[in-house]
Amino acid sequence: MTLPTAPSRAWNAHGVTRLRREGAVAPVAAFLVFFIVYVIINPGLLTRFQLQSAANLVVPLALAALGQLIIVLVGGIDISIGAIMSLSNVVFALSMEHLPVPLAMLAGIGAGLACGLFNGFLVAYLRLPAIAVTLASAFIIGSITREIMDRPGGGITPAFYLATSGELLPYLPISIFWLAIVGVALWLVLQRSALGRHIYGVGSSADSVRAAGLNARGAQLAAFALSSVIVSFGAIMLAGSTITGDPRSGDSYLLSSIAAVALAGAAFTGGRGSILGTILAACTLGLVGSLLFFAGVNSYWQYVISALIVISVVGVPVIWRTTYLAIRRVRS
Amino acid sequence: MTVLTADGVATPVAAPPAPSNALLVVQNLTKHYGPVVAVQDVSFYCLPGEVHALIGENGAGKSTIAKMLAGAVVPTSGSVTAGGIALVSGRIKDARLAGVSCAFQELALVPDWTVAENLALPDGAALRGFSQRKSIHAATALLAGLELDHIDARALVSSLSLADRQFVEIARAITGAPKALILDEASSALGPPGVEWLFRRIRELTALGTSVIYVSHRLSELAVIADRGTVLRDGRVAGEFSRGNWSEDQLISMMAGREASKAFPSSPPLPVSSKPDVLRIENLVAEGLNGISILIKPGEILGVGGLQGHGQRELLRALFGATPASASKWMLGGRPVRRLTPVKAVRLGAGYVPEDRKVEGLALELGVGENLLAPWLKPFQRGGRPRLASEKTWISGVIASLSIRTRGPLENAGALSGGNQQKIVFGRWTDRSRTLILLHDPTRGIDVRAKQELYKAIIELSRQGVGVLWFSTEVEELVNICHRVVVLYEGKIADELEGDRLTAEAVVGAAVGVASPGVSQREIS
Repeated sequence: MTLPTAPSRAWNAHGVTRLRREGAVAPVAAFLVFFIVYVIINPGLLTRFQLQSAANLVVPLALAALGQLIIVLVGGIDISIGAIMSLSNVVFALSMEHLPVPLAMLAGIGAGLACGLFNGFLVAYLRLPAIAVTLASAFIIGSITREIMDRPGGGITPAFYLATSGELLPYLPISIFWLAIVGVALWLVLQRSALGRHIYGVGSSADSVRAAGLNARGAQLAAFALSSVIVSFGAIMLAGSTITGDPRSGDSYLLSSIAAVALAGAAFTGGRGSILGTILAACTLGLVGSLLFFAGVNSYWQYVISALIVISVVGVPVIWRTTYLAIRRVRS
Repeated sequence: MTVLTADGVATPVAAPPAPSNALLVVQNLTKHYGPVVAVQDVSFYCLPGEVHALIGENGAGKSTIAKMLAGAVVPTSGSVTAGGIALVSGRIKDARLAGVSCAFQELALVPDWTVAENLALPDGAALRGFSQRKSIHAATALLAGLELDHIDARALVSSLSLADRQFVEIARAITGAPKALILDEASSALGPPGVEWLFRRIRELTALGTSVIYVSHRLSELAVIADRGTVLRDGRVAGEFSRGNWSEDQLISMMAGREASKAFPSSPPLPVSSKPDVLRIENLVAEGLNGISILIKPGEILGVGGLQGHGQRELLRALFGATPASASKWMLGGRPVRRLTPVKAVRLGAGYVPEDRKVEGLALELGVGENLLAPWLKPFQRGGRPRLASEKTWISGVIASLSIRTRGPLENAGALSGGNQQKIVFGRWTDRSRTLILLHDPTRGIDVRAKQELYKAIIELSRQGVGVLWFSTEVEELVNICHRVVVLYEGKIADELEGDRLTAEAVVGAAVGVASPGVSQREIS
């Protein structure tokens, strides 16, 4: 079975082929449509202030979604992503009271990494199911977080706000710049290193990776570690944009991160998923709420609209394929 | 241990010590899984440049030995040395570094990786850069050097045919010039040209001094390629043979531990029946099929030949309604068919034994009994144990008539050996008033005894007046058992063979597209 041959060369370029294979064409297209609709309804998005606040809204979600994507790539799912985010957020905010910024960031990321390694060890080496492990660790991490800090606070400075959520250049929010750095770094790891290909391979068929003489469990553990580092970075970006540490700050990111990964066309059985698609899917879902605000629709409809976007974007390729086959059959 | 002497008499001798120049030496290899003995005290050796065959029925321990040699399984006791280095660590990587590589029977390729990634990634460390472009260039050059130009290095492995996947798996094992190469049922999905390709590769390697361990079911291949061999039975060495001093019947009786013959049963005479034709289809069109017309009479065994990927899978799936298809005329069991689905096909009297028993054929976590009953469980009926109890006669009848070796209807289907799993997929259609059975290479990768039992069952179906459409990659089966054979080539019927014209040469010739076009697409009327 071969892919349908397309006439144009750009369509068959290597990068586009991979986007297609990873299911990312539909979410990328959906984001473009969504963005145009958004700008038509609310042209004010393209002002400096609105761009900045939209970016600050979307970037932590995009980072959480990337973290979720890596776990989904190895065939798991991470229920503890919101809890890890809250913990790093709180640890970072508290450390800012006493420590210089780089050390505080290391503390926040270190706390997240510890959680990731805990999850990864149980999943990869004790072969426990990821959903059970991360559900359990979500409760544990949640309790620890509240033990560390039970109400919003911490010592985040306005200078840090400017460094994470201000503007790099006019019309270029600095948070987008940080997201781009993380995205490119992650792309290098996943697409241009052997370890990254192992992560994709483990999700596709762990037995085959093992039979090829590769360390499948190591790749799984590395995926959990990588994921938690990115999620912690998202927690720090969130702390910067809100200028507080909050023990409940990560809670809402669990379901939205899963939704973004689903919207990105990733396979929940593992092995298939795109970074670009996930970032753009997170941007789409993150902006639905404010779009409805500007369109004058009750914000309770936000979830219904998000759900419809997910279902239609995931469904369109399936419907397209069936009609394509049906048309071909009729023609022949 | 016994050794076949020139006149074929088995005489017991002591295990001979391995000569000092042997490349791969296996001594007293033993593997226990709990109380189950998979392999017991197996010793053999392989000289440089030699092809050593390992043969035996399914469950005889061949694959376990191959896995221990490849480092995928840790032996309970015993030793394996390759070029003087001991290999017992149970790590595939160590074995590869010592120069032992293996093409596994259950293909070990990652489906969502491209061919290039599958070829490039197993070598080297995890923490290093990986360039898609370089890997594709390297893989294209590698495939071209191995006469595999038809495989696109950029394609995902999951989009390849089974035969192409096997080619890639073998290519991966060959790269890096191993000192010892283990081929575990490496020819099982390959057609005759593919097997010749494999033999050319083996001869290239042995000319360079590589030892090849050749695990196979196909005895006819051994005569061509094997220099020496070890016969296994129930995890022990049943005997040894070397080139020229064996016959197929001797090996079979050694493998089975009893006198047995490879002889194919002959097809029963076609019953003269007043019943309507089992299947009459004209100009069938579907993805990969290009206007196929077929007529099957009651009790007729129609063979389908041809190389893998020329439309056989699509034909069977279309006839069972598993893939969309249309035809200008389509009668199943005397009734017209429009828009077939598998549910409808079963209702009209069809049965289907799919290609991959583990994925398409069985629910591995369910019991033997429930797997047998699978097509007959309607949504609002009793299920579970009460149902098994009420169907007990039928279930035990099927198990007995096909001699399925199982501990009972409640045993997990996944726990059975390949041959017995295949019998379950087949057995669910027996004694259920079928009119047409579609078989997709049911004897692939199963042992001689199970094959004979399946042949018997197929002939019994034919005697009952059931029509059989049987795709096989083994030409001998088609020639000896089928009444008539159609050979597919590029989605069309290249030739239809019957009577005197039905010979192995004719089937193979039509499969590679050398038959004259005049005989293709004969009118069925």
